[in-house]
Amino acid sequence: MPLFNFFLVESTAKNQPIGDSMAVEDTVKEDKTQVSVSMANPNYAIYVEGITKTYSNGLVANNNVTFGVLKGEVHALLGENGAGKTTLMKILSGCLSPDTGSIFVDGKKVHIDDAMKAVKLGIGMVHQHLSLIPSFTVTENVALSIPLPGRLKLDIIREKIIAVSKNLGLEIDPDTKIEQLPVGLRQRVEIIRLLCQDVNILVLDEPTSVLTPLEVDELFRIVRGLKEKGKSVIIITHKVKEALAVSDRITIMRLGKVVRTLNASNTNERELASLVVEGFVPSTNGTKGQPGELALIVKGLNVKGNSGRLAVKGVDFLVRSGEILGIAGVAGNGQKELVEALTGLRKTESGTSIMKCCNLANRPPQFIIKKGVSYITEDKMKRGVILNLSISDNLALKCIEQEPYSKNMIVNQRKVESRAQDLIKRFDIKASDPCANVSSLSGGNIQKLMVARELSNGSILIIAEQPTAGLDVKASEAIHTKLLELRAKGVAVLLFSADLDEIVKLSDRIAVMYDGRIVGEFLSGSLDMQRLAKMMLGSTT
Amino acid sequence: MTGLTIAIAFAASCVTFACPLLLASLGETVVERGGILNLGIEGAMLIGAFSGFLGAYFTGVLWVGLLTAMIGGIASVLLFGVLVVRFNLDQVVSGLAINLLASGVALYFLRVAFPGGGYPHLNFLFQPFAVPLLSQIPVVGPIVFNQPGFFYLAIVLVPIVFYLIYRTTFGLRLRSVGEDPRIASYVGINVSRIRYTSLVLEGALVGLAGAFVTLSQFNTFDTRLTTGLGFIAVSIVILGRWNPAGALIGSLIFGSTEALSFWGTAFLTGPQASSLAQLLTILPYVTTLVALVVGGRMSKGPSALGAPYAKE
Repeated sequence: MPLFNFFLVESTAKNQPIGDSMAVEDTVKEDKTQVSVSMANPNYAIYVEGITKTYSNGLVANNNVTFGVLKGEVHALLGENGAGKTTLMKILSGCLSPDTGSIFVDGKKVHIDDAMKAVKLGIGMVHQHLSLIPSFTVTENVALSIPLPGRLKLDIIREKIIAVSKNLGLEIDPDTKIEQLPVGLRQRVEIIRLLCQDVNILVLDEPTSVLTPLEVDELFRIVRGLKEKGKSVIIITHKVKEALAVSDRITIMRLGKVVRTLNASNTNERELASLVVEGFVPSTNGTKGQPGELALIVKGLNVKGNSGRLAVKGVDFLVRSGEILGIAGVAGNGQKELVEALTGLRKTESGTSIMKCCNLANRPPQFIIKKGVSYITEDKMKRGVILNLSISDNLALKCIEQEPYSKNMIVNQRKVESRAQDLIKRFDIKASDPCANVSSLSGGNIQKLMVARELSNGSILIIAEQPTAGLDVKASEAIHTKLLELRAKGVAVLLFSADLDEIVKLSDRIAVMYDGRIVGEFLSGSLDMQRLAKMMLGSTT
Repeated sequence: MTGLTIAIAFAASCVTFACPLLLASLGETVVERGGILNLGIEGAMLIGAFSGFLGAYFTGVLWVGLLTAMIGGIASVLLFGVLVVRFNLDQVVSGLAINLLASGVALYFLRVAFPGGGYPHLNFLFQPFAVPLLSQIPVVGPIVFNQPGFFYLAIVLVPIVFYLIYRTTFGLRLRSVGEDPRIASYVGINVSRIRYTSLVLEGALVGLAGAFVTLSQFNTFDTRLTTGLGFIAVSIVILGRWNPAGALIGSLIFGSTEALSFWGTAFLTGPQASSLAQLLTILPYVTTLVALVVGGRMSKGPSALGAPYAKE
């Protein structure tokens, strides 16, 4: 392959006559499984070749990646977390610079030093964590990326936004502050912003991860609209279904390398799944637990959010031991405040949260932990681990007061370390030394570490918030298996996840949270996905 | 002197004392809008006052002093800038380090420049400039329109800085960098360049504030002359909610407390005079604390203020 690439570079560098490049095309066509790629092909909006990127911690995120996107196509970049998709796209959009490799836009070799340069070349990226300033209006955010020096000409920008949004049928009020918009609309603002900059290649990084199913449909409609206008769209995703649903061609990445590029019409879910994860067999959905006695009874819980307004409004639910209750909902509908109230991190205004005849509301976290509540937090870096403590100390945080890990206030270091070694093995944490600082671990391994600590201390209730965030398919699968195992042992699990698939897969019952209230409940057996999706958006019908 | 003349003289003095605070707090407002908390402003003002004094003393030209003051101010603020922007060090610690460095440097060069010891004096100063006609207005005229040129400059700068922050592309970028530098860099803004630009601006303004102290307010240099002014400017920014108009109001309030403590020290008589005078000198700092408790609680600054930011 490297030789072949070299040949291609040569052929354009010398600008050889058409006959010779035809010969190249022919060699490509012989490889039937691979869609032919050649930067000499003028239909490529962008073509990258031999991109390698090694991060300062030694991780090779992109290894000799070669990849091309046609003009006016929707191209999915498919792979699990850590496959190098986002790194590659950050290189294209100028947020990262590659160690080696070349980028061609419209057949011309370019150097993309920063995001500004990328936009000038017509490449723009919508990041997974949206890059809008919340306290600015839509117009101000768009104005930020349009270089009109001197006086701020917001009127011109506003007109442009209205023109672009009309052209694509994307309605938006240019004077709303971003913080007042739901995530789906924020994404729309990002797309409009790129279009206002006359971008031809739009990169969307995991655009669906924060959206509800209906919003996903809407996004895909927009993407198809962009394609009709002749734009190229690259969608980064780890969901095979989505790649198939929206794209013309699909490039699969694994461990920093491009595995293959396929036409979406010539492939299927099974083939893609096996390419994404070598030899991966997904487990079956919807296993059932054996609900026992009541583990947690929440009644009339009212909790205030940071703004001082009620974020949780009279929530009632119960969780039995041996069952998983999934709480579905769009982020920001009070889930965070609910979790914080249940774990003692936030004051409750009124209501009770009763566990074993004891009200946990407004009790300190330590009390709640001692009662047997485990908490897998969404914000692992800030709340889940102490980055500058060792792995073994972090694993011991919640049991350090108990024998045999300490006695008469003196820590038994050997016991603490042997426990750490055991957990590292059981949860497949990739750590060289249990005495190393947690900050030396990758994000995924920090997640595993936190989960290992929370799932190994014999709790009777586990509150899990995005338990598999940032993990690849295999690691997620391992954590799912562990949760199901604990359920079988009679542990109650309260699962909060933005990933609806995860909720559906694990839960016995699913409650939908909207605007601080539980607006509906489903048994996993009788699930109506459409109704669930509508409820998440506040529709009552 | 009648009561009214004294009151007018005192009010004029309040305005005069507000002048360096306004210049410095306008500068600090700009950098804080870009997410940088520069506590080194205290040291920068000292260096500005000192370099301005040296420039004027050795050339005999006040305007040269103005220039050297700005250069001194810019140099000190840029040194701070390199620490926090280039090396991404803790902003508070870096600022305090600059302050310690500045007083050491000023003392050392004071002794190098004037080996004989004692405090050198300038024979000439920027005198108050009476604005034709306007200074004739009763009461208001002598208070507001008979001030050094620095004051008129500072007043004119208030709307200019306001326009810069809210009505220019630079201002929008500056605010975005102060809200979230990572996002700003994603949309193609050069965070470092914006921050350095704002720091140069602050350096010039703080240098001018320092020059005001040694070239207009007093005619000598002493490392104690600017003590506390920088920190007060930082609290004025908070009290003024990161808005130039707020900085103007805040500067007048703090200028008044400064004037009060100055007048108190000069005019108090009687057995308790010296202890009372000492009490008055802490008045500006007490006001600072009160202002921070009151103002700091109700206002929300730029989200990324003081937060370290390293380019990916």
